[in-house]
Amino acid sequence: MAPIDQVILFTVDLSALFAVYLIINIGLNMQEGITGIPNFGIVFAVAGGAYIAGGLSTRLTVSLLGVQTNFDPVFDNVAVLQLVNPILRSQPSTAIALLILFLIIGGMAGALMGLISSAPAVRLREDYLAITLLAFGEILNVIGIGYKPLIGGPIGVNVPDIFGWAGQYRFYMGTLVLLLVAMAIFAYAGYLIKTPFGRTLKAIRDNEIVARSLGKDITRLRTTSILFGSLLCGIAGSLWVLYSGAVTPTYARFDWTFLPWLMILLGGMGSNRGTFVGTLIFVTLNKLIIYYKYEFVGILPFDVVWLNYLLLGIITILVLIYRPEGIVREKWTATGQNLGAADKGMKDG
Amino acid sequence: MELVTLSTIVGWLTYSALLSLMALGVTLLYRTTKVANFAHASFVTVGAYVTYTLSIALSPNPYLGVPVAFVVVGAIALLLFYAVLEPMRKRNSSTVMLMIATLAFDIIMLGVMNIHADFLTNVYVVPSRNVLLSGSDFKFMGQPGILCVALGTLLLCSAALYLLLNFTTLGIALRASMENSSLSEAIGINVSMMLAVSWFIAGGLAGIAGALIPLWTLINPNIGTVLLASIFCASIVGGLEQIYGAVLGGFLLGLVDVVGTSVLASLVGPWVAFYEPVIPLLVLSATLILAPKGLAGVRVRRGK
Repeated sequence: MAPIDQVILFTVDLSALFAVYLIINIGLNMQEGITGIPNFGIVFAVAGGAYIAGGLSTRLTVSLLGVQTNFDPVFDNVAVLQLVNPILRSQPSTAIALLILFLIIGGMAGALMGLISSAPAVRLREDYLAITLLAFGEILNVIGIGYKPLIGGPIGVNVPDIFGWAGQYRFYMGTLVLLLVAMAIFAYAGYLIKTPFGRTLKAIRDNEIVARSLGKDITRLRTTSILFGSLLCGIAGSLWVLYSGAVTPTYARFDWTFLPWLMILLGGMGSNRGTFVGTLIFVTLNKLIIYYKYEFVGILPFDVVWLNYLLLGIITILVLIYRPEGIVREKWTATGQNLGAADKGMKDG
Repeated sequence: MELVTLSTIVGWLTYSALLSLMALGVTLLYRTTKVANFAHASFVTVGAYVTYTLSIALSPNPYLGVPVAFVVVGAIALLLFYAVLEPMRKRNSSTVMLMIATLAFDIIMLGVMNIHADFLTNVYVVPSRNVLLSGSDFKFMGQPGILCVALGTLLLCSAALYLLLNFTTLGIALRASMENSSLSEAIGINVSMMLAVSWFIAGGLAGIAGALIPLWTLINPNIGTVLLASIFCASIVGGLEQIYGAVLGGFLLGLVDVVGTSVLASLVGPWVAFYEPVIPLLVLSATLILAPKGLAGVRVRRGK
C-alpha cells in the first residue's frame, strides 16, 4: 500500500473512533461534569444501544422492506443479509431512513438502560450511585451471550450494510455520517449547557442544598441528566455497530467506561470544548500507540496489548495528581447579571 | 430429587466466606477513606496468583500462599495509598476523583497480572489461565479442606479485626479518625498513618481471600474484575456504615446466588444458571429500594 493510502486509512479510522467517543464523552460529561453524577457504568448504556439496535436492525429491515424469506434474521443472519444488502445498496434514501430509525432505537435503548441502572440509587448519595452503576456495567454481556435471539450469542451477528450504497467509499461515507452526527450533538450540548436547564444542573452539582432550597426537584433533574447522557451513549453504541457492520457481546468496562472517563478528565470536566479537545488528543495518541506498539511484538515475552493498560492507567493517575482540572478549564456561564464578571474572569484566566 | 444438595451448601459457605473477606476490606476503606475501592478487584487477583505462582515455584502446598498474599497485597495497597491517593488527598481531590484513581490503579494492575500470566506461560512454560489448585487440597470429613479453611479464616480475621478496633490504642485511634478526622488530627492522631493502616489491612484481607480462590474455582487474570460487582453488592447489602455488615451481606448474597440459583435451576430449568451474574444486581437493587442503609442499618422496632 502506498504511504498516502495508509495515511488516509489511518485518518478515516481515527475520525470514526473520534466521533463515537465524542458522543459518549458528551453524554458522560453531561452526567459527571455538569450534574456531578459519577456514572461508572456508561458501558451499560453503550452496550444497550448497540445490542438492541444491532439485534433489531436485521429484523426491522426485513419487515420494512417487505422481503419474503423463511430464514431467521438472527440465526440465518448471513443468508438474510445477502437478500437485504443488495436492496439497500440500490436505494440510498431507504438506507438513510433506516439509519435514522436505528439511531432513534439505539438512543431510546440507551436511555432506558440509564433509567434501569440508576433507579435504585438515584435518591441516595453519589457514592452509592457510583457503586450501583459500576455493578450494572457489564451485565448486558451476560444477557447478550446467554439469550441467543438477541444478537446470536457469543459470536454476535452482522447488521445490514446501511452505507453499502457508497460502494468502495463505504467507510469514508460512514465516517462522514458519524462525524456529522457527533458535531450536531456537540453543538447542541454546548447550547444546552448555557440554557437555564444546564445552569440548574450545575447548581445541583455545586450545592445541592441551595438548589433544593430554591425549589428544584433534585431527583427529577438528576434522572433527566442520566436519561440524556445515556441516550447519547445509546446513539453512539448503535452508530458504532452500524459503522463496523457487526455486534458482539464483548462490551468491556475498559473500553467503554474507563477510556471515556480518562478522556473527559484529560480535556477538563464540565467543559464541552474540553471534552472535544480531550477526546481528540486521546484518540490520536491511543491510535498511535496501537500503531507503533506492534514494533515490540516478538521482542517482549508477553502480549503487547497489556502495555496499553499500564500506559493509560499511569497517564490517568498523573493527570489526577498534577492537572486535575484538565486541559481546558470550565468556563463561567455568562448570564445577564454576571456577564461583566465572566468577561473579567476570562481575561484573568 | 433433592432441591438443595450437600455440595450446594458447601459451595454456598465457601463462596460466602471468601466474599465476606473481600467485602470486609471494601467496607473498612469506605469507612476510613470514604472511597469505594475499585482496585479491590486486582487485589483479589494478585492474591490468587501469589498462591498459584508459589505452588509451582516452591511447594505443592496451596495454603503456603495465604500469609505471603497478605503481606504482598497489603504492600500493594500501601503503594496505591502513598503513591496515588495521599498526594491527591493533600490537593483536596474529591471523592469521585479518588475513585477514578483506584479505577486507574486497577487497570494498571490488570495489565501487570496479564503480563505475569503471559510470562509464566511463555518463559516458564506452565499454564497460567483457567487453572485450579483444588487437586492438591486436603479432605476434611469427606469435604474439601477449603470449606473449613475459608470459614476458619473469616472467623479468625473478623475476631482479629474486632480485637484490634476495640481493645488496642491503634484501633481506637483508627475508629476515631473514621468518625471525625479533623478532630482526631487536633488531638494528635496521625490520620494519614491511620488511613495507611486501614489500606494495609483491607489489602491484606483481599489478598487472603484471593489466595484461597484457586482452591475453590478456576483463576485467570480477570477473576477479581468478575467478582467486583458481587463484592460491592455484599458490601452495600450489609450496609456501608457497619464494618461487620459485610459478613452478613456476604452470606446473604452467597445464599441467594449459589442456593437460589441451584433451586431455580432445578425448578425452572438449567438455563437459569447462566444468568447467575444478574443475581447480585437484583439483590442490590432490592436492598437499595427497601433498606437504603443496608441490612445492618435496619433497626427492629421494639415495644416498651
